[in-house]
Amino acid sequence: MTTASLPAPAPRRAPGFFEALAPGGRRMLFLLAMVAVCLLFAFPVLWLGLTSLRPGYAVFYVHRGTDFTLENFHEVLGQPVVLKAMWNSFVISTLATILSLGVTVTSGYMLSRFRGPIPNTWFSLIYVFRCVPYVSWVLPLYFVTRALGIFDTYWGLLLPHVAVHVCFFSWIMKGFFDGIDPSMEYAAMIDGCSRWGAFWRVAMPAAIPGLTALAILCWLYTWNEFLFALILTAHETPILTVVMAQFVHELGMEWHLMSATAVLSLGPALLVTVFGQKYVIRGLKV
Amino acid sequence: MATTHAARRSFLGLDEKKRFMLALIAPAVFALVFFQIVPIITGANASFRDWALHDPKRTWVGLKNYLYVLSDPEFLLVVLPNTFGFMAASVGCSLGLGLALALLLNRKFRGRWLVQTVILLPLMVAPVIAAIMIRWMFNDQFGIVNVVLDLFGFAPVAWLTQRWTAFLAILLTDVWLWTPWFTLLLLAGLQSLPPEPFEAAQIDAATPWRVFRHITLPMLRPVMVVCIVIRSIDAFRTFDIVWTISGGGPARATEVFSIYAYVEAFQFLNFGRGSAAAVIGAFIIVFFAMGLYRILNRWVEVSK
Repeated sequence: MTTASLPAPAPRRAPGFFEALAPGGRRMLFLLAMVAVCLLFAFPVLWLGLTSLRPGYAVFYVHRGTDFTLENFHEVLGQPVVLKAMWNSFVISTLATILSLGVTVTSGYMLSRFRGPIPNTWFSLIYVFRCVPYVSWVLPLYFVTRALGIFDTYWGLLLPHVAVHVCFFSWIMKGFFDGIDPSMEYAAMIDGCSRWGAFWRVAMPAAIPGLTALAILCWLYTWNEFLFALILTAHETPILTVVMAQFVHELGMEWHLMSATAVLSLGPALLVTVFGQKYVIRGLKV
Repeated sequence: MATTHAARRSFLGLDEKKRFMLALIAPAVFALVFFQIVPIITGANASFRDWALHDPKRTWVGLKNYLYVLSDPEFLLVVLPNTFGFMAASVGCSLGLGLALALLLNRKFRGRWLVQTVILLPLMVAPVIAAIMIRWMFNDQFGIVNVVLDLFGFAPVAWLTQRWTAFLAILLTDVWLWTPWFTLLLLAGLQSLPPEPFEAAQIDAATPWRVFRHITLPMLRPVMVVCIVIRSIDAFRTFDIVWTISGGGPARATEVFSIYAYVEAFQFLNFGRGSAAAVIGAFIIVFFAMGLYRILNRWVEVSK
């Protein structure tokens, strides 16, 4: 558990509530607050884990009884639709990450390095379209993907996901490139490097840490996405989040199976949280 | 590929620099146009038509759908207040909690890494999973919340079958999901503040509250403005957690704008009406976002 040790309190003259507490009381209070915060933020996930380990007959009284089993995971992994959904989610997330980053890295670079009417127009365009609610274009997307014959296929979900990311990621990428000194690129161009060469050989390597961070977030975002998957896919291309929600919608209230699927889908998220923390935090700083 | 593009002498009479700029944004423009702008136009077109999913005659009806939505008491008296109430409550609560947590985490102590990891957790969890878990925990018969209430001698509450308790559960989920985001951004903001004003305040023996009120808060304002604008826009279009927790129920009492458009289009199978609602919502949020940005910007200017 956490043990807190504070740096020596700064000398202050006005005695407040905390100083009035017994020695160490302030530290205890801080410790308690931190434990409470941890519990509050971890509880739903812990409860999910606990539910997933309960056999079907005991799931409605998770807090009572001590029967635990791994049978739920076995049963869930035995369902072809879950396995297929996992594979689909994985493929879509990975491809969407690669495509979105590829598309927006150049756009962000352009926004960061140039001034004038073209970047200004593009910037206001992405600013406005970033605000448009998803529901107002995901409904017609249903018809657009149908008309293009890509409804309920990989492409039909992949390309809309890329479009979702265009606005926000261009914006974030601009921030990354703003933080990189352009004088190296000018030097490279004076030495005979083309514009593309300066972008690809000089600016890109410097942006790699930012790209990594954004790649992680993009992958997780697509993996966790629900609305687009719900509307743009049907039985041919099941997606994990939708399949998971169906355990407690249409097929009755199978909380134990739902939890097991949810725990499986949480795997990548947990790995990222523990090992990729540094990158994630960097990526979140818009 | 695009290099040949740039090498060509005159493409639409543009100079080499402009061609390079256009080539850089071309793929992004392509994705934006085909999978966002074209659908939005399709939707706008559908909103003027009698477009039912089961019977697509698509006769032009002018503003009928708009008039229907704008005179629908459900939309005016339930959906709009819900949406804006949810936005204000969610952004307010997560901002307050996020700021408090950021201030706590902005000091060095052992176990800070652990706390930070736990706080990151909700950001990585799918909103659907969080919503399903909340639904499970607030289940009126088997949920852990009622078990705990029972333990302390309170009567069980039918959380998800009443408007305000269901709303509370939705709000709680959203705050749980987004407080960490505020915490991390504000923490980053706190850590990049210059130390001199704080040292000066210490020499002047300012109380912690006054330091917070007159130094930390004004200097954090730019970060807070960005957070508030981004989160408000996202909170306006919340869909998945409301859909999973209450489905807009009981009896459409917790419907927010996205749910209303979805339900009109895919459950009442009236695509024209759903599109009209979506267009109205899009206009509301675009103007709201611009206004909000302007007001908050002025707030920042004043503090400078």
